[in-house]
Amino acid sequence: MKIVARWIRQPGFLTALPVGIFLLIGFAGPLVLVLLYSFMPPKTFTLGQVPTIENYISVVTQSYYISFGWSLALAVVTVFLLILITYPVAYGMAKIFGKWATLITILIALPLLISENIRLFGWVLLLLKNGIIDGSLQYLFGLSLSGMLYTVPAIVLGMVYVYLPFMLFPLVIGISMVPESLKEAARDLGASRFQIFREVELPLSMPGILIGSLLVFILTLGSLAESKILGGQAIVMIADDIESAFTFAQNWPKGSVLSVILITISLIIIYFLFRKIDLDRVVGRR
Amino acid sequence: MQSSRQGKVVRALIVVWTGAILIFLYLPMLSVVMASFTKQRYFQFPVKMWDTRWYEKAFESLSVRDLFWTSFSIATLVTVISVVMAFFGALAFARYDWKGRKLYQRLILLPIFFPQAVLGLALLLWFSSLGVTTSWHTAVFSHLIWILPIVTLIMSIQVYSFDPVWEEAAYDLGASRLQVLREITLPILSPGIVSGAIFAFLLSWGNFPLSLFTTGADQTIPEWLYSKMVSGYTPMVPTLGSLTIGGAAGIVILSFVILNFYRKLRGRR
Amino acid sequence: MNGSPSVFLALREITKQFGDFSALDDVNLQISEGEFFTLVGPSGSGKTTLIRILVGMESPTSGEIHLKGNTINDLPANKRPTCMVFQNLALFPHKTVGQNVEFAMKIAGVDSQTRQKRALELLELLRLPLDFYDKNINQCSGGERQRIALARALAFDPEILFFDEPLSALDFRLRKTLEKELKDIHRETGKTFVYITHSLEEAMVMSDRIGILNEGKLIQIGSPDDIYNRPKNKFVAQFMGEVNTIAVDRIGQSRVRDSKTGGEFDLDSQAQEIDSGFLIIRPEVMKIGRSAQFMPNRIEGVLFNDYALGSRIQYQVRSADGENHWLIERLQDDPFSGNAGDSVVIGWRPEDSILVDQ
Repeated sequence: MKIVARWIRQPGFLTALPVGIFLLIGFAGPLVLVLLYSFMPPKTFTLGQVPTIENYISVVTQSYYISFGWSLALAVVTVFLLILITYPVAYGMAKIFGKWATLITILIALPLLISENIRLFGWVLLLLKNGIIDGSLQYLFGLSLSGMLYTVPAIVLGMVYVYLPFMLFPLVIGISMVPESLKEAARDLGASRFQIFREVELPLSMPGILIGSLLVFILTLGSLAESKILGGQAIVMIADDIESAFTFAQNWPKGSVLSVILITISLIIIYFLFRKIDLDRVVGRR
Repeated sequence: MQSSRQGKVVRALIVVWTGAILIFLYLPMLSVVMASFTKQRYFQFPVKMWDTRWYEKAFESLSVRDLFWTSFSIATLVTVISVVMAFFGALAFARYDWKGRKLYQRLILLPIFFPQAVLGLALLLWFSSLGVTTSWHTAVFSHLIWILPIVTLIMSIQVYSFDPVWEEAAYDLGASRLQVLREITLPILSPGIVSGAIFAFLLSWGNFPLSLFTTGADQTIPEWLYSKMVSGYTPMVPTLGSLTIGGAAGIVILSFVILNFYRKLRGRR
Repeated sequence: MNGSPSVFLALREITKQFGDFSALDDVNLQISEGEFFTLVGPSGSGKTTLIRILVGMESPTSGEIHLKGNTINDLPANKRPTCMVFQNLALFPHKTVGQNVEFAMKIAGVDSQTRQKRALELLELLRLPLDFYDKNINQCSGGERQRIALARALAFDPEILFFDEPLSALDFRLRKTLEKELKDIHRETGKTFVYITHSLEEAMVMSDRIGILNEGKLIQIGSPDDIYNRPKNKFVAQFMGEVNTIAVDRIGQSRVRDSKTGGEFDLDSQAQEIDSGFLIIRPEVMKIGRSAQFMPNRIEGVLFNDYALGSRIQYQVRSADGENHWLIERLQDDPFSGNAGDSVVIGWRPEDSILVDQ
């Protein structure tokens, strides 16, 4: 009792309470509810039923692997593309741009404050038949590229576009943690520019690459807007399936099962993510 | 010599590449703004007729006013609540050393990395199980689940650089607890509080996945835009989109100006 | 300059427990008005805890603190007429130099004109240019910040000013300058200063009296001269710096025997009445030569190495078996010179040695 009393009286614990209790009610509560519903018989709307694993069996035997497959595949492709695209920018921000890096950071972060929908709609205008890209090509060269919108590449483009900052910023931190003296030592030992990159910079900036990759991976895995706005009916991703199970099909238990699977994958990744970072160092560095 | 010339080429390439990425990031938004000024019912490029009549219609429309008002109410409430709660949350995150802190730091960040659509649906399930009718009030609650952790994180950055000994020194020089809060703690933490508030407002204003499932009969601007994009396109889409972009840009620029002014004021006296 | 000898601040049986750990153990101390008193101790000795209790940031587990005859135990820090210069100074980063200095007066409700006048006076007293008044704290150098912190504390007009090792982060030369300046300001203001530090050397320069603290106990209180020449025990003697220490047993009124080697030495006639203890001989009173008979107490050894210390030169001499070693410091122009490996004799006068307790 005495230990509990002392623990509760810590100022840190007391100040953590408002946010903690709120998230317990608003975050942990719904997740537990979803888990409970996943064991209820199909198409029931109360929790009082006899638990069953019927939903899990039906999800595994039905064709949901297709939407899971698309989500996983697009997540992997997005991650790889983003590593290639953002590494040079991150390198520049960590080592080259100097005082300009702050401005560039702000410029890259600002679009995050604009609704995803609006930004993706901008791509619709660009990719549309007779849209900005197609129209310009027709006007300038008489060429037509009309089939760009509502395709899988368009979805990938949308994901790369929306999640770029989430790969870039961890990379910048990762690269800026590589001490300049190590590179000089390697150069001193006769390493070429490429060897320095491969033997020193890349392995040492690996934590940043890993954190960015995991982050982008979970965000793309659960994404909805990109496939709906830029993909049209091209493919169905897992978040679409979850949404229709809950809304159109009115099958809460099935939607819950799909959510539980997605949440489990996400939680495993978040677990690895958090093991990699010391928050005090990442947030507190100035 | 060889390697330094090589270095210059690599640097130039990186600069060009970064510029290209920035254009890539802003191009879609520019497209939206451009589209909002066309006359045609359906967007075509190159634009043949420029017009501002869709803006006039937007300002006159009552339904647009409703949308705006719903989004604004949600964002304002989310901002106020999250700033107050995150202030304490950030103290627990960054200032106090307490048993359970490392776990708290991780748990509190979970919602940020969580698929928002799934979170929105789980909240919908939660509300209907508890018998709560969804409306813009429940959307405030849902937005907070995601925004509160972000604001806590942003304020924590400022709290990390806060030295509690400043409070002790003020207290030692005769200040009461309240005076310490007013003279020392709040002024030093204010840049963090202001940036937290800006983020809270804009993230709530632009949120779509959480609103989609938890606003019930009410509709926010991002929801309306989405519904019109998927079916029943109207030229009002780029118009409202541009207004939102303009509004966000305005808030950001204004807050930069204020923060800068404040910093100068602090520098001089 | 000791002012009146009346007791100004008195500590009675102050004890502080943190769980099972006792940070302060029965500390008794009396400080007079206008005195510059320094508490010296290694890290973990309890000196920071003691000063935090004195300013009111912590309360003692038991014991009483009296200021001018009144108990102030229950007075919180913001109600005590004392204030502290913090180790990292704790200057408010969002306020200008002037606003920092005026802080206590602003809290006390002093009008802005009076505040500014007083702040400028203090800047002048602390040899800071007056245009610093509008300067940003972050643009000030280490030494300037020290002076601003002192000005801010003086503006509070405290009965006692406490210092928590404010000079420890500075480089050697600046520290030396500021030590003297602090002593000058003590003289000019006539305030009571209570200073804590881990450097006995720093304490010697500034203080009227010094208290040595170790493991929560006050071991010795005395003037710098007392502490230097009459250390109470081995801890105090060694705290001063490098000394030669020989474990000895008393074998006569003025004679001791080295408990390790069996060598016998004469004692000073004033030596403490101790049966067994340590003989302390400072390196600078030791003599070194090639032949015997030049000192009553002597030891034979081999010159191991020499180190130049600026105006002086230090020799390390080891016993033939290498078990014991001694340090000797001589002036650079001392006639002795030798090479490593030479056989030498070292010695000292009985009155230059001090016999102390464990």
